[in-house]
Amino acid sequence: MKNIFITLTTALTLLFSVTSCHSDLDQSPIDPDSFTEEDVFANATEAKSALAKVYASLALTGQNGPAGQPDLGNIDEGFSQFSRMLFNLNELTTDNAVVAWGDAGLQDLHGMYWTASNDFTDAMYNRLAQTVSFSNSFIENAERLNDPVVTQYIAEARFIRAYAYYNLIDMYGNVPLVTRIETTLPMQSTRAEIFNFIEAELLDIQNDLAASGANEYGRVDRVASWALLSRLYLNAEVWTGTARYNDCITFSNNVMTSTYALHTADLNANGTAYDELFLADNGSNGAQNEFIFALNFDGLNSQTYGGSTFLVHAAVGGSMSPNDFGVNGGWGGLRTTSALVGKMGANDKRAMFYSNGQTLEIANIRRFTDGYAVTKFKNVTSTGQRGRDASGNFVDTDVPLIRLSEIYLNYAEATLRGGNGSLTEALNRINQIRARAYGNTTGNIASSALTLSFVLDERARELFWEGQRRTDLVRYNYFTTNTYLWPFKGNAPSGAAVGNFRNLFPIPSNTLQVNSNLTQNPGY
Amino acid sequence: MKTLQKKLLLFLLIFPIGMFAQNTLKGVVLEGKTQQPLPSVTIAIEGTNTMTATDFDGNFTLSNLKKGQKITFSFIGFTSQTLVYENQSSVTIRMVEDLQELKDVVVIGYGTVKKKDATGTVDLITSKDFNDGPVLSPQQLISGKVAGVSISSNGGSPGEGSNINIRGVGSLSLTSQPLFVIDGVPIDGGVGGSRNPLNLINPSDIESMSVLKDASATAIYGSRGANGVIVITTKKGKNKEFKYTFNSSTTLYDVVNRVDVMSADQLRDVIALDSNYDDTTSGLLGTANTDWQNEIYRKAFGRNHDFSATGNAWGVPMRASLSYTNHDGILRTDNFDRTTAALSFSPSFLNDALKVEVNAKGNYEENQFANRGAIGSAAVFDPTQSVFDANSPFGGYFAWIDASTNQQVSLAPTNPVALLNLTNDTSEVRRFLGNVKADYNLPFFKDVTATVNVAFDKSNSHGRNITSDLIPTSDPTWNGSRFAYANNSTNKLFDAYFSYVGSFSDKHNLTAVVGHSYQSFEYDNYSYNSENEEDGLEYEFIDKSKNVLLSYFGRVNYDFNKRYLFTATLRADASSKLNPEDRWGYFPSVALAWNVMEESFMKNVKMNNLKLRVGYGEVGNVNGLGDYKFLTRYTGSTQTAQYQFGSANGLPSFYQTYRPDAVNKDLKWEIGQSLNVGLDFGFWNNRLNGSVNAYVRRSKDLIANSTVDPFTNFSNQIERNIGDMENRGIEFALNLTPIKTDNFEWNINYNIAFNHNEVIKLPDNQPVGGISTGVGNNVQMHAEGEQPYSFFVYKQIYDANGMPIEGAFADLNGDNQINDSDKYFYNDPFADILMGINTDFRYKNWDMAIISRVSLGNYIYNDVKASKGILDLAVPSTNNYITNLHTDYLTSGFTTISDVTALSDHFIEDGSFFKIDNISIGYTAKQISKGVDARFYGSVQNVAVFTNFSGIDPEIPSGIDNNFYPRPRSFMFGVNFNF
Repeated sequence: MKNIFITLTTALTLLFSVTSCHSDLDQSPIDPDSFTEEDVFANATEAKSALAKVYASLALTGQNGPAGQPDLGNIDEGFSQFSRMLFNLNELTTDNAVVAWGDAGLQDLHGMYWTASNDFTDAMYNRLAQTVSFSNSFIENAERLNDPVVTQYIAEARFIRAYAYYNLIDMYGNVPLVTRIETTLPMQSTRAEIFNFIEAELLDIQNDLAASGANEYGRVDRVASWALLSRLYLNAEVWTGTARYNDCITFSNNVMTSTYALHTADLNANGTAYDELFLADNGSNGAQNEFIFALNFDGLNSQTYGGSTFLVHAAVGGSMSPNDFGVNGGWGGLRTTSALVGKMGANDKRAMFYSNGQTLEIANIRRFTDGYAVTKFKNVTSTGQRGRDASGNFVDTDVPLIRLSEIYLNYAEATLRGGNGSLTEALNRINQIRARAYGNTTGNIASSALTLSFVLDERARELFWEGQRRTDLVRYNYFTTNTYLWPFKGNAPSGAAVGNFRNLFPIPSNTLQVNSNLTQNPGY
Repeated sequence: MKTLQKKLLLFLLIFPIGMFAQNTLKGVVLEGKTQQPLPSVTIAIEGTNTMTATDFDGNFTLSNLKKGQKITFSFIGFTSQTLVYENQSSVTIRMVEDLQELKDVVVIGYGTVKKKDATGTVDLITSKDFNDGPVLSPQQLISGKVAGVSISSNGGSPGEGSNINIRGVGSLSLTSQPLFVIDGVPIDGGVGGSRNPLNLINPSDIESMSVLKDASATAIYGSRGANGVIVITTKKGKNKEFKYTFNSSTTLYDVVNRVDVMSADQLRDVIALDSNYDDTTSGLLGTANTDWQNEIYRKAFGRNHDFSATGNAWGVPMRASLSYTNHDGILRTDNFDRTTAALSFSPSFLNDALKVEVNAKGNYEENQFANRGAIGSAAVFDPTQSVFDANSPFGGYFAWIDASTNQQVSLAPTNPVALLNLTNDTSEVRRFLGNVKADYNLPFFKDVTATVNVAFDKSNSHGRNITSDLIPTSDPTWNGSRFAYANNSTNKLFDAYFSYVGSFSDKHNLTAVVGHSYQSFEYDNYSYNSENEEDGLEYEFIDKSKNVLLSYFGRVNYDFNKRYLFTATLRADASSKLNPEDRWGYFPSVALAWNVMEESFMKNVKMNNLKLRVGYGEVGNVNGLGDYKFLTRYTGSTQTAQYQFGSANGLPSFYQTYRPDAVNKDLKWEIGQSLNVGLDFGFWNNRLNGSVNAYVRRSKDLIANSTVDPFTNFSNQIERNIGDMENRGIEFALNLTPIKTDNFEWNINYNIAFNHNEVIKLPDNQPVGGISTGVGNNVQMHAEGEQPYSFFVYKQIYDANGMPIEGAFADLNGDNQINDSDKYFYNDPFADILMGINTDFRYKNWDMAIISRVSLGNYIYNDVKASKGILDLAVPSTNNYITNLHTDYLTSGFTTISDVTALSDHFIEDGSFFKIDNISIGYTAKQISKGVDARFYGSVQNVAVFTNFSGIDPEIPSGIDNNFYPRPRSFMFGVNFNF
């Protein structure tokens, strides 16, 4: 009897266990920070947090801040931040900047000897493509919500995607054009095809975006689509072979007549309002009225080792006092070359350099005290207070990606290049920029001085370290040629030309290995 | 009352015996040595189905016997005895403990097999062959003992875990560590806050470790068998009088080697010649002569006590043990404190038809983790400064102060002594592993046993890392910090299987197992961050996940006349980590063996064993892969990674962000296919025995975090099944007993293994092996056609005197420039040849053992040299602090920190070594008091290392020598009492 009982129990236990646990194989996440697609696109409120990621993919590097749960692999997380890479690829490769550090592939940039597996050119490609993927996923999922608020979100995501593609064709030329979430390997589109896509997208979304100045700070309105079109058309001749200067002028005009205005109130009474564009409170001190598209940082809530944290810390070294910059220490890396210093007029207050203990000319690029240091970005407010992170680790300063004075310069350049703008208007706008820079009109120029090469130099003075220098030099065909040399261009102390294939960066060799549809840019 | 009943019972039993004395036998079975009665001895009578067992007092009575019938007495762990019935009326049987038998039975997963019937490659190491010395980690018990198994401790900290590779490395990104199975319970990897997942077990509780090396042996563990399996069996109770063991030992640890950095005077000389040197620099130099490594290391003590009792309680064989271990590390403030308890009962019921085994193990571990940052900091900290500085605002510890902020210079190294004394990183780990196993011999099918094994493994750890407000820092608001965590993990197992044992016509022997297994793993981790709390941010975090493994398995062992052996297994595994279409994996194996000795033509051959084996199997690996990877998930950002949209009431409004995570719906198991051919032999009463094995293992669909076109996913890398790898090698093991007399015995054990790993398929090269020069700089590469983890470097050019020329590398592709394309593959960190050379002697009451290992062809990137031997490091570009240099600078003369210079093959060194791991001597004193035996023993661990490697230790599992916690030399003395 007892035996039968035991046998039965055993058999039943076995049976029970086998049937009960098969369903156990279907586990779904139990972590409180993990969500499904249904959670995220449940309603417009939740979707806004997904939209925040589309923006944040350009500002932050992962989900843990400052580091942890990184967005990208195969690169140090801090290095992978978009505006830091934009600095590395568009400023460090030019006369505007040098760096002292020896991280893998970093010296290759100013020396212009990067290869097809450079960590920074790879990571930028990946970051931009990822931003496209995030945007595609957002657009595709949010479309289901059928909510007017969400329609505007979608237009903003399409703007971010267009901005990513703008950078992709600027840096890499021909890249895949992907607008849906697809796992099949994409084909490569031409630069011109993507140019047309960006143009069509920006034109298409302008009315879905908020009216000028009507959106929350940090989110773009329709002026951003016009400003990006202005920039796109300015480069059209180089990128597609067809000049579009009239279109550039049209959309520059749209921007110039919008609610955006130059920030001219010198709050800290140091003789110019220019420096306030790069202070810890630039999101609220009035400078934001000039920011058409900016990346928002915060020392407590939006932490990264890139962004303005990088721009402030990395530029401090030598005898500079970190306190003056609102941070707890310098990383002793970034300086500039004599080429930029030499462009500044005597009373131009944009000449924000630190020369005490620094030499103007660079003997050893790896030594911080060689070359003037740059004091443009600070984690100090217009009232002299340190940013929100009292420990001085992370910086509040927002990083403008498109601001109004660039559009003035676009207008002037397009007009000088034969567009149908007004030279008087161009001169007027340039002098507005210079009057702010000098704090008075002593720096204003006469119409005779307004030449293409003046505009290029003015762009350097106004926009240095804001991520546009390489594009400008390429447009003038100065970047690789010996028409214009700067210290350590082409890894030669007095500068040397390099192959003109370096007007484009290489497509990552790893990506080529996994997608045989792609062709590497010539020369790599 | 009880006595009366017994007597009555005895009377009733004896009465009929007296009547039919001619065919009834009564007797008692005694344990040979102690003369104590032995209950539950199985008694079988030839020609009948009668099976009985001795009672509690060892007595038995057999009736209806016929003259000439054979009666067999058997009991696990004892040699069986056969008695021929010659009409005796009473008999006393003395059973002798069979040491050989234990050695002969290997645990193969869901069953055991006699070594001579085994078809797979299984090495069994029993407690008597374990390494002596201050062994705190079970892994170290068998280091050097098994051919083809490399076991290296991860560092010199007490209780540290080990890196184990069985037959090379078999995975690119998942774990290459073997599966551990403790008393039938497969355990999962790490335990938060603990140094070693096996710290649960006191090494002296372990009876044996079986190492299952080839796929035909590990296939029964299916998806987890790809890297081999180590089956740990703990000591169990024996059915006899209680015996007690008490063991106590003391260990003294000392540092052997230190990083070769400059003395204060050497550094002063070097800086005086430095081009970066100026008046500011001279103001920085101090006048002290501090050996920072002296300041952080110490002589350390450790002690172990353990006590065990084995015997029979209330008729149930049981064993209980308790141990206490407390060891300091040689790095100041490091301490490991552990208490373990183990209890096992093996009762049987229903005339032994139902056998139950209950095991419970628990440990309580307290760790004080020294701040290992001090190791790197001590190597580079300026020796011209003294430890203390009366003017320092940081608790009196010297620090590099930035005059403008009055805080520490932000990139300067922190005083290593302050790092040790002003941080307090502690944890307590509690773990319980319990299982109940019941084997029930089915009453209607005597050949079938049903087994149910239920296990529960729970660990709970709490830890906190407290940094003092006094620690040198650049943060002006610093007021100390506290990071705390609590980890819970729960592993539940339910196994149920049927086993069949039968033979037909005396020649065909068949055993079979078929069963089901369910295992779930749950993690629930909590962490707290005081810095976030101060900043008004989210400061508590929860991290949870769960996965389930479900399996069916079966095995058939068949032999014909013990001569031709055949084994086939099949396991089907499903893991919740994989998507429903790919989640089932099927892992078959088949093996054949030929016991040549059983052939008639071998009758006159003077050999004891000759067996040929061949086996093939497929096993999987999904260990170490994260959960839910195939689902589209969104990760919410923490409060420090929010994004601002607009403002409200003058304050910025921050939004949590949701990120779609990289996803791979097609993830599946890694598959290892392996073929093994082996030969076992024994001569001279097995005093010379050994085995030779040759194997090829091809691992397919290896998961690697590999490049994906970033337009097609949410990251540039996803985990994919993309690589294939091959390991091939030959192993040879030899055991020799040249002398064996009553007074003198000498054993020699030698093993040698040749192994070669090669990546045979990998679509994109995978940089691995981060180094300390340059963020994101890697020195190793997985690439097709190369060994995994091969070094990928520039070829250094040397001058006429053989000195390296800084920054001068061979232009290997001849394009007149030096860039990435000039790197080449240069060696790898895995040994080509591993040897274990062990010997032990016993002379009367003295015993002695020597354990040594040889490793040939393992290369090491000397990161210490590469990153610390560069002049520009001494005075950094900010010119506000000084760091010490590696003495390599005096020979290399390298001046500029560069990612390229750091990737020179100059820094890759041959790490081949011969290590004498251990020498131990013991003396056994019998009957020092009535019934008490004692053994006194002493040992030296890490006796000597012979190598050309210039760093502190050539045994670096990762192949990159960077701030390695030095393995100490230790001296142990202990005493052991058995009573």
